[in-house]
Amino acid sequence: MNNGKFQSIEELKKRIETAKQKRETDTTPVLTVSAGTCGQARGSMEVIDALEKQIKESKLEGKVKIKVTGCHGFCEAEPNIILKPQDLFYQHVQPQDAEDIINMTISQEKVVDRLLYKEPASGEVKKKENDISFYEKQKRIVMGDNALIDPTDIEDYLSIGGYFALTKIFNGMNPENIIEEVIKSGLRGRGGAGFPTGKKWEFARRSSGDIKYIICNADEGDPGAYMDRSLMEGNPHRVLEGMIIGAYAIGASEGYIYIRDEYPLALKHIMRAIEEAEALGLLGDNIMGSGFDFKVRISKGAGAFVCGEETALMASIEGKIGEPRQRPPFPAVKGLWKRPTNINNVETWGNIPIIINKGADWFAGIGTKGSKGTKVFSLVGKINNTGLVEVPMGISLREVIFDVGGGIPGGKEFKAVQTGGPSGGCIPKEKLDLPIDYESLAEAGSIMGSGGMIVMDENTCMVDVAKYFLNFLRDESCGKCLSCREGTQRLWEIVTDITEGRGKKEDIELLEQLAVAVKDASMCGLGQTAANPVLSTLKYFKDEYYEHIVKKKCPALVCKEIVSAPCQYICPVDQEASVYIALIAQGKFEEAFKIIRKDNPLPSVCGRVCDHKCESVCKSGEIGEPIAIRALKRFVMDWAAEKKLNGQPPKTEKRKNVKVAVVGSGPAGLAAAHKLNLLGYDVTIFESQPVAGGMLSVGIPEHRLPKSVLNADIDYILNAGVTLKTNMALGKDFTLDDLLNEKFKAIFIAIGAHKSLGMNIPGENAESVFPAMKFLTQVNLGKHVDLGEKVGIIGGGNAAIDAARVAIRNKNTKKVTILYRRTQKEMPAYEEEVESAIEEGVDIQFLTAPTEVLTDNGKVKGVTCIRMKLGDMDESGRRRPVPIEGSEYTIEIDTLITAIGERPDTSFVQEKDNIRLTKWDTIQTDEETYLTDRTGVFAGGDVVTGPSSVVKALGAGKEAALCIDRFLQGVNPAKEYTLNRPSVYIEPVELTEEEIDTAHRPQMPRLAVEERKFNFKEVEKGLTEEMAVREARRCLRCELETEDGKKAIGREK
Amino acid sequence: MITIILNNLEVQVEEGWSVLEACKFYGLEIPTLCYNEGLSPYGGCRLCLVEIGKPPNTKLASSCTYPCEEGLIVRTDTKRVINARNMMIELMLSIAPNSKTVQDLASKFGVKQLRFTVRNEECLLCGLCVRMCREQMDGKAIGFQNRGHNKKISTPFDIRSEVCRLCGGCIYICPACQLRCHGPNPDTAVCNACLQMDPTCVDVYDQAQCWMYDAGRCGTCVREDDNKKNNQEQGLRPDEAKS
Repeated sequence: MNNGKFQSIEELKKRIETAKQKRETDTTPVLTVSAGTCGQARGSMEVIDALEKQIKESKLEGKVKIKVTGCHGFCEAEPNIILKPQDLFYQHVQPQDAEDIINMTISQEKVVDRLLYKEPASGEVKKKENDISFYEKQKRIVMGDNALIDPTDIEDYLSIGGYFALTKIFNGMNPENIIEEVIKSGLRGRGGAGFPTGKKWEFARRSSGDIKYIICNADEGDPGAYMDRSLMEGNPHRVLEGMIIGAYAIGASEGYIYIRDEYPLALKHIMRAIEEAEALGLLGDNIMGSGFDFKVRISKGAGAFVCGEETALMASIEGKIGEPRQRPPFPAVKGLWKRPTNINNVETWGNIPIIINKGADWFAGIGTKGSKGTKVFSLVGKINNTGLVEVPMGISLREVIFDVGGGIPGGKEFKAVQTGGPSGGCIPKEKLDLPIDYESLAEAGSIMGSGGMIVMDENTCMVDVAKYFLNFLRDESCGKCLSCREGTQRLWEIVTDITEGRGKKEDIELLEQLAVAVKDASMCGLGQTAANPVLSTLKYFKDEYYEHIVKKKCPALVCKEIVSAPCQYICPVDQEASVYIALIAQGKFEEAFKIIRKDNPLPSVCGRVCDHKCESVCKSGEIGEPIAIRALKRFVMDWAAEKKLNGQPPKTEKRKNVKVAVVGSGPAGLAAAHKLNLLGYDVTIFESQPVAGGMLSVGIPEHRLPKSVLNADIDYILNAGVTLKTNMALGKDFTLDDLLNEKFKAIFIAIGAHKSLGMNIPGENAESVFPAMKFLTQVNLGKHVDLGEKVGIIGGGNAAIDAARVAIRNKNTKKVTILYRRTQKEMPAYEEEVESAIEEGVDIQFLTAPTEVLTDNGKVKGVTCIRMKLGDMDESGRRRPVPIEGSEYTIEIDTLITAIGERPDTSFVQEKDNIRLTKWDTIQTDEETYLTDRTGVFAGGDVVTGPSSVVKALGAGKEAALCIDRFLQGVNPAKEYTLNRPSVYIEPVELTEEEIDTAHRPQMPRLAVEERKFNFKEVEKGLTEEMAVREARRCLRCELETEDGKKAIGREK
Repeated sequence: MITIILNNLEVQVEEGWSVLEACKFYGLEIPTLCYNEGLSPYGGCRLCLVEIGKPPNTKLASSCTYPCEEGLIVRTDTKRVINARNMMIELMLSIAPNSKTVQDLASKFGVKQLRFTVRNEECLLCGLCVRMCREQMDGKAIGFQNRGHNKKISTPFDIRSEVCRLCGGCIYICPACQLRCHGPNPDTAVCNACLQMDPTCVDVYDQAQCWMYDAGRCGTCVREDDNKKNNQEQGLRPDEAKS
């Protein structure tokens, strides 16, 4: 050796051998700390300090080593430590864990359980790195070495056989052999376009020129992609080794690494690697006596996305504006400074040493026919295991997302995956089994790109995603081509209009035409792919665009200008929840009452039994607990009832003297009747039961909804001028033709869904088996039902829980058991109802299904049940219950109530009525008009949708009334869609620091379990004034976030 | 000389010619905006697009920057070219509706709609002025700034340039600065007047009803729409005609 430089290949070989031996013989335990940029951001440097301190304190110096390495790929578990040689994997290590790691794991060889990794899906605890499912399906030939070496020490790289490929190429392989080997390996460019690397080299080799260049493209700019950074941080010599091989093959004497200045750690490591390699004579003149000269320079980029395009990149190195130019001439002919140039991406260079070391055949054995080897993806977004994953080509998207990535967090549903960065496309769930290779991704309308993989769940709006990427691209387009500069800008403008509720129907066509033009007319790769976000979302999610444009709806509740306040947005009756909450916060209860009254025909009812979708979408719920919106409404209604504000009948429009019939007095019927009456029509309601209210009066028991409260709401509607005829059943007491003969100009059928479904098991027709609806109706009408001592109830919906809570209030009944085939998580009944039932002593047996009703002399004496377990996921992502064979058992009961679902009783429909029924016995209506096949006859509520919520039925009634009004005026009866906005904007209240710290959702005061026994007193007592005001002040007031909202309270930008 | 295939014909061209030069030589009309014979080609306006390659593996490229190569297959009037080119013209209209050059292009190539919000920026960033200044006037007083939608042409640091000699070359060559001629449509819409150069007004209108007569302008460029044609065929007078 001369000046410390290798003079021959033999010297390098020897040095590698010694380093390898040293590594193999050294058995000192090594704590490998992941300290790439992401690890450092999560505090790995502090962990290293703490570990060093602890080693000193425990006097273990020399007995354990700390190795600071680059990224291990598992970002989710950062900072993580792998203890070698045991391969023990610790995640989320904090400085305070250092003591346990050193004193327990190192000194006593005990595992610190709390630091072990837990599988998100199964909850299984994994000790070793390679047992973790995240690593199991990976094939980490490029990134795997990151965890083995200190990137700032060339010695470490040599000790894993680094630079061994150089001994091969300088010893017998001529450049043509190398190129042949690379061609044979089938390696394709990892930067995105996937051009065969060997072919590219061949072009550059054949080009004539005095000087040739090679370039390493490390201008990684895709949002969410960081594999190149990670490789340069964790294994910079691998990249250099690849470049030396490439330079030798092409005949290049100079190399450039074009790296973003935003990557300081990668820059530091690669610069140090160059210095080290130069010091050992692996770079420089006459490398190891071979006569081959090669130098590497660093060129720092300023972060323009377009500079990742090769011609723009070269312009940037030359000191010119980073703008692409026309190819041909290709860089292989005229590149950097007009000399033949070969440019490859970091990951491509990183693959070269492996191909030389292990041979082209080995490499070509991995992957698919057209795409060989592995690809590193940065798996980010809505995914459990965020991280860099290296998988063999040809693996399916499903395997990457669900097996390696561990699925979607929070049990949400997968919606789409965006591959290839901003120029890529979104791939929907139908294409999850797509094998990952260049061709199939392109076919699906996306690209491999540099390997960004952004996973999106059901809460992602695809139009918003397109907008996000277009915004990125309109900023990052170089602006030379009109098509790209102006095209991306206009695409963004149109998509922005759509997301803000200003979309027009023609926009879709224009988007498609413009996107194709941008793709076709642009010069470089950026422009040619810039329309992909639009084209792929339009291809797979056109419905969502239509929802935004036509219905002014954003199904994922993302687009702020469309959604405004989510509580109001989701409410079928358009209740301005955020407005009345704001008024409650200011103590203006009467105004709040008026706001509630304005839109809701049955507000006191809704304040008690609404399924409050508003609360499940409440923004406060995303960061803590949702606002108790239903309880606040009830508070206002109770306050108003006390102040006797409810008695005033509303003003109606001038009478039109047109008669409309409403069949059914449930929520849908009442809402329609009320609205039509307000519009000036003469409305008559026909009700088959002796009392009005439909399901509200006969289905919901007194302890949840007192009859006095219900009747107050109904009386309000009737007092305004609606006629009610009870004991009038359609099909029995009158027919549709009768109504039309009596000069009713329109009929609204809203008879609900009251018929309980059978179970289709032996013995279900025995005496003392009651369908739940029949049972509840009898009880609600004050009739006696003979219940036994042991009541069994089958089902998991609200009817089942209601029946159980009614049964347990019966003096004779000693035990009530609910049998449900899934688990509590899947129960459709309201959570608080289930809890109350359990509180009151109802026994719920989950994962149990009845197989036979046992009878004795026609009377029930028990049920045979079978245990269930949750099987595979079905299409909806829920796990299907499957019976466990041989697990049958019997429960003793004397009364059985079946509550497995209801259907409408549409037996009144005759052929001549010209009304179409679906196979679920519901009435077929037109979605946009509520019209049945018969002119003038409308239908809505449960009779159309099947059993649903009270508020949905109210919404249907209200909407149908407007359709009927338009129909009677002789105009198109279809629904009109408008942007969701409150009628008034209320100034927000300011919270004190103390209030913010202590803000929480109030507990609804309830009767004690003792007080509920054997009576039907209302269980929930309602919020106190203080509780209500305090809760209302907690509201985030989402409606003020829209431009209209900001303007209204004078806070626009 | 090398051979290229131009619209299915084998033709001989000089080596070193661009595709645009070859097309011009053979009399094929290709619209340009950012191209000028006296300046280096830029390839920014994307009007001179041609379809290159053997179907189905073809691509569009700007002919002004694409060099002729032996055996190159070029087609100049495919549907794909026309669609992309018309969209470029529509985009230009939306930025600079007051430019005569752009309005003329729209009329000439039958672009009749403008579906984007008009911005009226009067600069198409074609870079003619930048190249004029640098290459013909040896000035280098102006250049591009920023990128993407923020791109603009200005002097360094947006202050008066010391090398600018106020020669006016930049204004002389600018395609967006020449005002359009007055037509029947508003200034910010598509003009299309040249599309119908038949003096329809003489037949259809008399002096009292001609809007141009009131405006004091030449009336040859009234748009003749189908309605009027029908009315004419039915022999209706303008006052009887249904609009």
